[in-house]
Order: sequence, then C-alpha cells, then structure tokens
Amino acid sequence: MTVGIHTDEQIRKMKELQDNLRADASPLKRFKHIGERSGRRLDGHKKACGEADYTMDVQLPGMLHLRFLDAPYPHAKIARLDTSRAEQLPGVRYVLRYDNPELPERASMGKLPGLFGDPPPLPGIAHFEGEPVGVAVAADTEAIAEEALTLVEVEWEQRPFNLDVIRAREDDAPLSYPEIYSAGNYWNNGMFNELVQGDVKKGFKASERIIEFEFFRRGHTWIGPERPCGVFRWNGDCPEVWVKQQRPHLVKKNLSTWYGGVPMNKIQLHCLYQGASFGGWIQVQWNMGPLYCAGFVAKKTGRPVKYAFTRREDFYGESMDNGRYRFKVGFSSDGTILAVEGVSTIANQQWPMFNILNHFKENTRIPHLHGTTESVWVNKGPAVPTRCEQLPTTLSMTMVFNRVAAECRLDPVEVALKNDGYEGHDMEGLDEAKRQRGFPLVDSLRDCVEKGKAAFGWDEKRHLPGTRRLPNGRMHGAAFTWTNEWDDSLGTGEIAIRIERNDGTASILAMGCDNGVDAENTYCRIAADELGMSLEDVHYNQQIDPGFFRMSPDSSTNCSVNGWAVRHAARILKQQILEAAVSPTAKTQRGEYRPAFPGCAPDDLDIEDSVIFRKSDPSVRKSLAEFVMEAGQSGPISSTENAGFRWAFTEPFFAFSYHVQLGSYNPENPRPHLTRQAHFVEVEVDTETGDVFVIRVVNVNDVGKAMNPMSCEGQQYGGTVMGLSRGRFEEMIYDPVTGVMLNGNLLDYKIATIRDVDCPIGTILVESGMGYGPYGSVGIGEDIGTVMTGILAPAVHNAIGVWIDDHPITPDKVLKALGKI
Amino acid sequence: MTEQAKAGFTCPYCGKRFDTFDELKHDILTSHRGMPLPAQEGQVRLVINGQVHVVQVEPEWTLYHLIHDHLGMTGSKQFCDRGACGSCTVIMDGFPVLSCMVLAIECDGKTIETVEGVARAGHPLIEAYVEHHAMQCGYCTPGFVVTSKALLDRNPDPTEDEIRDALSGNLCRCGTYPQHIIAVREAAGKLSGQKDNGEV
Repeated sequence: MTVGIHTDEQIRKMKELQDNLRADASPLKRFKHIGERSGRRLDGHKKACGEADYTMDVQLPGMLHLRFLDAPYPHAKIARLDTSRAEQLPGVRYVLRYDNPELPERASMGKLPGLFGDPPPLPGIAHFEGEPVGVAVAADTEAIAEEALTLVEVEWEQRPFNLDVIRAREDDAPLSYPEIYSAGNYWNNGMFNELVQGDVKKGFKASERIIEFEFFRRGHTWIGPERPCGVFRWNGDCPEVWVKQQRPHLVKKNLSTWYGGVPMNKIQLHCLYQGASFGGWIQVQWNMGPLYCAGFVAKKTGRPVKYAFTRREDFYGESMDNGRYRFKVGFSSDGTILAVEGVSTIANQQWPMFNILNHFKENTRIPHLHGTTESVWVNKGPAVPTRCEQLPTTLSMTMVFNRVAAECRLDPVEVALKNDGYEGHDMEGLDEAKRQRGFPLVDSLRDCVEKGKAAFGWDEKRHLPGTRRLPNGRMHGAAFTWTNEWDDSLGTGEIAIRIERNDGTASILAMGCDNGVDAENTYCRIAADELGMSLEDVHYNQQIDPGFFRMSPDSSTNCSVNGWAVRHAARILKQQILEAAVSPTAKTQRGEYRPAFPGCAPDDLDIEDSVIFRKSDPSVRKSLAEFVMEAGQSGPISSTENAGFRWAFTEPFFAFSYHVQLGSYNPENPRPHLTRQAHFVEVEVDTETGDVFVIRVVNVNDVGKAMNPMSCEGQQYGGTVMGLSRGRFEEMIYDPVTGVMLNGNLLDYKIATIRDVDCPIGTILVESGMGYGPYGSVGIGEDIGTVMTGILAPAVHNAIGVWIDDHPITPDKVLKALGKI
Repeated sequence: MTEQAKAGFTCPYCGKRFDTFDELKHDILTSHRGMPLPAQEGQVRLVINGQVHVVQVEPEWTLYHLIHDHLGMTGSKQFCDRGACGSCTVIMDGFPVLSCMVLAIECDGKTIETVEGVARAGHPLIEAYVEHHAMQCGYCTPGFVVTSKALLDRNPDPTEDEIRDALSGNLCRCGTYPQHIIAVREAAGKLSGQKDNGEV
C-alpha cells in the first residue's frame, strides 16, 4: 500500500526517528561534505555583492508606504481623534483609524493560547510609550506619511503607569494592562513559573554554608539590522505577501483568518533574506497587526502597501530577563551545592517558558531546587525570546556557580565539575541515561573544560579576587561559566527534494527564513552526503512558498529538526533513484524500455559524486545527469517516439519528509541534556575610569557533530560579540517621570563595534556525538550569545574583588562598586 | 494672442525675456547654440559606478534614498537611520560617506561607487568575504565591503589595527567582526599580487 508517493516502509522509516529521544541509530558510515571546514557559504556571493534581497528592498509599481502613529505616553487611551488635516495632505492615499467600523475588534495574530489572546490589529489604547496605535497613514512616500502623522490631532486620556517590576508587583500599584489583567500586574500562567525538585528546606538544613544575594538585569533588545517590515499586494482575491519573519508559517496561518477568511492555497508568501531578529521580532502583536493594516489598506486602495517600522519603533521590544533575581544557595566548603532557591521578578514576559532554575535542573546533580519566575506587567514593550528565552536561567547559572566558587575560594571550573549531572543525578546517573539512549559515555563538561583551560591558560591566569594588578595599572580578572547545549523547541520541519530533469541536480524545496546561520548550506551538505551527490549539485531553493515549512525560528533548531527532515527525504529519494535505475526506464504503449542497470537489484548499486555505479564493478556507471537527461522535459511523447526512436523516460524523482521534535519544552523533559559548553574570559579593569577591557575569550562547545564547522564557529565568535555587548553596554533607559524611552536609537543605545571586542576569541568545537540531532548533533545558534551575557560580573569581581549586581556592567557601576562615586 | 504670448518668453539659458517666440529662437541660435540646457532646480548629475545619472530630486531626499529607492541599487542598506551604523556607506569622490547623512541635492557632479560597482569590478574583497564567512545575516555586509574598499584604495597594505579603525563605524549585530580583518588582509594580499603581476 502506498500513501501518496511514499510506501508504508518509507513512512515507517520517517516515523521511527520522529521523537528523536535516543542516539542516531543509523548515521552515515563516512562523511564527505558534512563536517568539511572549507565550504563556501551558498549565500555568500549574493550577500557580499549586495545582491541578496531583503523585504526592505522590495519596491513594487504604485506601492504606498504605511506609517503608524506612536503613542507619546506610556499608558493612554485615545479620547478624541481628528485626522481630517492628514487626509487632505497631497500624496496621502488612505488614513486608517482604529475606529474604522470595518476593522475587526480582534484578529488572530499568532499568540499562544492564554496570553494576550487575539488583539486588535490597530489598538486605540497604548500600553507603552512608542506603541503604534490609533492611526496608520498610507502615502506615496514615507516622508509624506510621516508629515501626515504630524497633522493628526489626538486627545489622550492618560493613565497611571508602571515602569519598575518591583513597584508593579505591589498591591497598590496601578494596573499596567487593565483590559487584559484586571486582577493585578502579577501573572502566573501556571506553566513554568514554578520549578520544584527535592526539598530546599531539607537541603539548606544539610548545608554547611548558605549565601543569599540578589542582582538585577536591565532590559535590552535584539537590534535586528533590517527594520520590521512587510509588503502586501492583492492579485485579485489572492494575497501576495513579503514578510520579515522567522516564522513564515504563522503569517500564512493567521492571514488565512483575516479579511473574512482567505484560503491557504490562495496566499503567496515570500520570505526573503532577513536582516536578523534573533527571535525577538517573531511573536508579538505588532509583528502581524501592521501587516493586517497593510493588507486592509492595500485592499481599499487597490495598490501594494509596504509598512516599515522606524528604528525607534523597533527598540520597544525587550529581552526576557529584565528584572530582579534573588537567590539563596546552600553548599559545602568543597563546592558541592545542595540547595538553590531562586525567585525572579521579570517584566512583560509574553512567553514565560523558562523557569530561572531550568538549567540547574537540566545540568546538575543539585538535589534540592525551588525556582519561581514571576512575570509582572509594566508599561514597557513586550518581552520576547531574544537570543533567547533562556537568558534568565543562564545568567542565574553564571551568578550562582561563581558566587559559590568565590565564597569557597575554589576554582569555578572545579565547582562546575563537582555539580555536573542531571535532574539531581550525579555523573553515574548521567552515564546511565546516555547508556539507555545509545550514546557514547563521554564526560562532555570535563572534555570542554580541559580543552578550554589549555587554550586559555586558565591555571596561570586564575587568581583570588582583587589580587592581581598589572604593570599598566589595571586590575586583572578571569572568569568561567558553563551550561548545557540546547536546541529544544517543540515543533516540526518539512522538507522536499526533487531531482531536476536534464542535468540531475537536486533542489531542496522548503520555505526559507534565513537569518544568517548558513542553515541552507548545512541542509545541502546533508542531502549531498545522503544522496551521494557532489555539493555543487545540490541547491536550496528558498524564499518562495512551496508548501513545505521548516521548523522555525530557523536560528534555533534547524539542525536538530530540519536536518532530520532533510535526511529522511534524501534517504527516501535515494531509494527511489536506485529502484528506478534497475527498473525499465519507461513503460509506454510501445512496450518497456531497458533498465539503466539491467540485471541489478537496488542494493547492488550506490551513488557517489553524482554518479550511479555498480558496487561490485564501479566501471559500470552512469551519472545522475545521464540517467535523467534523456527524458528531458518533454517525456516520451516526443515525436521521435512516433518516428521509431526510443527515448527513456525516468519517473519524476521527488520525495518529502518531516520531523517532529518534542524537546525539553515538554514539561516531562524526555531528553536529558548530554552535551556541555564552557566559556572563559579575561578582562582588565581600569579602576580610575571604570572601563572594562576584554582581553581574551575562549569558547568550547560540544556540538555533538559539527556538520558545518565554520557556521558553528560563526555562532561562537558572533555570540561572544553580542553577549559581551549586552554584558557591557546594553540597556534601554526610560525617564521615570514621563515613561518615555530616552535612548531608542543606535547612537544612544550602544552595541559593540569592532573596536569594543577586538580581542582574540578562541573557538573550540567538541564532537562527542551526544546530541539528539542527526549524526549526534545539537544546536549552537542561541547558546553563546545567551550564556556570555552574564560572564563579565564574575570577571570584574575577580579583578576588583567586589560584586556588581546590576547588569550591564558599565563603568559608572564599577566606580560605584569601588567607592569612587 | 495666446496666454503664453501675452506673458512673453524667457530664455532657459540666460533668463532674458523676449516678446515673441521668434526673438527667443534667434537669441538661442545666436548666443547659446550647441550649449547643453542648464540644469533645472533640483536636478543632479552623478556618475554612479561609471554610469551617468541625471535625476530630479526632492530637497529632503538623502543620497541613500536616491540610490536605494529611486535607482534600485539596493545593495546599500539602512540599518540605523542616523549615521551610526555604516551599512549605507558609498564611496563619493574617493571617500567613504554615509549615504543616509548626505542630501542627494548636494551630490551634483559627484562620482559615486556603491557595492554593486565594487562587485562588478571583480574586487578581491568579494571573494575574500565569501571564503571567510565575513557575514551572517548579510544586511550590514555591503557597508563593510564598501568601507573596506575605500580603505584599500588609500592604504593598500593596512595593518590589523588600521582595518579596525576603518571599520569601527560599521555595526554588525551578528558579531562577524573577526572575519572582516582576515578578509580585508587577504584581499590586500591579492591586490598586491595582482599589482606585482601587472594585472592592475
């Protein structure tokens, strides 16, 4: 029996690895392109030459530009609105008001159930300063639209507001979002707010020493180089849409419910290259609300409409770690941690998927844990995963482990090794988990730290806090942090591969959502090695919607989910090719055509370098191009057939597959994390100016299997730059009196330049084979940029002997810690 | 008498007024014969990547707006919108400038080189950037390429420190900075080799 083009056996093969809860049962015996260091980026030439198209580059004939009114107050309702002067400005083609009776009160914007629900596409109430509300103007140019917005007269009904999570948590605080959360600003969604393991009271009682401390992390943002934008055009009743989106499947799904309903098969979606958003711009209502408005105006005007946020408008989204963290930790003098109790009070988590102690549970043998993540609403922008939602838990790991090491005057590396494990189990327990799942018994953390220590010179550089002054007068510091590698979103990936007629090249067909991690290159390598093709014969045809959507966001989980889907599809396709190679090359009314490899069974053949050959006699060979070429595009209906010639006609070679990942977002956490990462940083602190100079960084990541090593290294040095930038500079600053953001631009909100991180950044990849992805791989894209964010606190502590409990670690805080201001 | 005849006729070359069309015609043929018409207000003439462009611009247009939105050379990108990121860098009369901070109307007579021009000329920077993965999302990459090209034009053998100085105004959120130094150094080496071989 067959379902579509797949046999039962093929479907069984796809499904047997669907949950990937154990080691890869059938890896390739040898790799040719997977793991190769010298691969050119497939998108490299286009990007270097400025030929890669982004949604911001889309220009369509007659296109209008849509701009939004930004709320001047952090919490206010529109009481009266006069748009008449704006409507009369030459060049203005449409003014959309929030009270337009044709606008729905609510529309599906891709929110998770239980959060904001379905918001209005264009709200009339602002919950943060800068929120696009009330009016959208479509004009011939952006400048005209901007000018028109200055002519809009609004009478605002101002409301009391909160900016601070601690104040907002108090009973008498004003409500930040009264329409949605009328009972208070504290939101417990009941999913992951609380994590309990063992009994912390018992743990503290058994502890030799107990410390308590708190720290703050100030809100930062993603800074996607390409501003949020989208273009909407109606071709009759068929929408054609260009989106900057890491989750294009959500756009299509939601769009199908808009404007009275649009059949999915009428929606044409383009997801061009994306000027990165690091997850941030993926799941907030202002992502799809403006697109809804663009489609609405496009329908009304009969013209294509492009919306683009200003750089300032993009600044209002926040990371998910903005708030206060309180910890109580019980431990022994030898660094063995027995109990951790942590409470984080964090602002505006739209997606509170991670408890602050999550990584403690996943990575350690600490028996007693109690973590509480309080999500509190304040009148700032939404906080969403920003490379990534695990920021609070990785920051907490860094602070707790380094605090304990400092208290015990121990090497933090030794403290990490002493507490490594999983879910309260020690390393023997972790080994048992590996054994049960078919993984090699590699001590990943030990392997990582040994390599890292040697590369960094850790034993020579490490010293007690505040004890090493350098000849240049600065204080020297060194720090270490660690955690697991992860790629554990829930989701599915779909991939199709087709062998092209005439030349036998392979096209991978799936919706693209490129964010720069070179994922397409990795997929091509997998397909090439699995099919036995040359890498140059495999191409990823992205950007156009073929109906196959990859697991997204594509920077988080591509290898572990989409990699499997590519592999499944490639194996099915290879089998199709080999079976066709030994079967009649065509059957027509005139009879059967001779097989390309007569007298062979599929198992007698293999493919290498895009050539099919007989394993027992490799001289019997035919290139894939030759094999498929004869049929061409015309098939056997060619007139030559009627003239007596016989042309072979190979069947169309096409296969699709998919993969489902459960991951640890499942509360039952079915996959113990087996691979680890370790990071070392060396700093110098100028005690006169408070400046922190990063001198050297070494990253060691156990990625299981590096399918695309240069891409992995790119995430290591790139994540280091972003992580240190967040740790040193990044914070959105609000005026406490007006609630207005003061630094919503790239001059006043500093991100690291090439001068700010100009130190050597070591990139070491460990390949233990202990990932749940294909060939034992595990993700790396989110990890370093997230983990490195907190490492400057222990580094500066090691330098000056004082803890700074307020991230980012800016010069003024260093001087304050030193008692100089 | 037509309205035009009542109003008289103004010479587009010198602004002199004439009562009749024939008098205007005589003046043009005798005094301005063969001369190009003077530019209208708001018209600029630029040479971009070796080609002449004559464009009527609005006073508020930036050079970026002209290049990206009106001439369709979308390699230049706008990341920051205020001269903070370097993504819109083009080379104007030999110097790297931020095209979002230059008014198009001030560019009359200028010679501009964009990333498209650098690429079309086969500059070794392109291959070096590809080879060393000096990009991730790629949005800022053209700005880096153009800034590096301007650096190599004036300093064919820059040190690592000089490269850092030259690129310190270009922001890359993906953090690809280490690769740019490698790529620029490699391109410099190739240019030097080409020079030695008499190829340039």
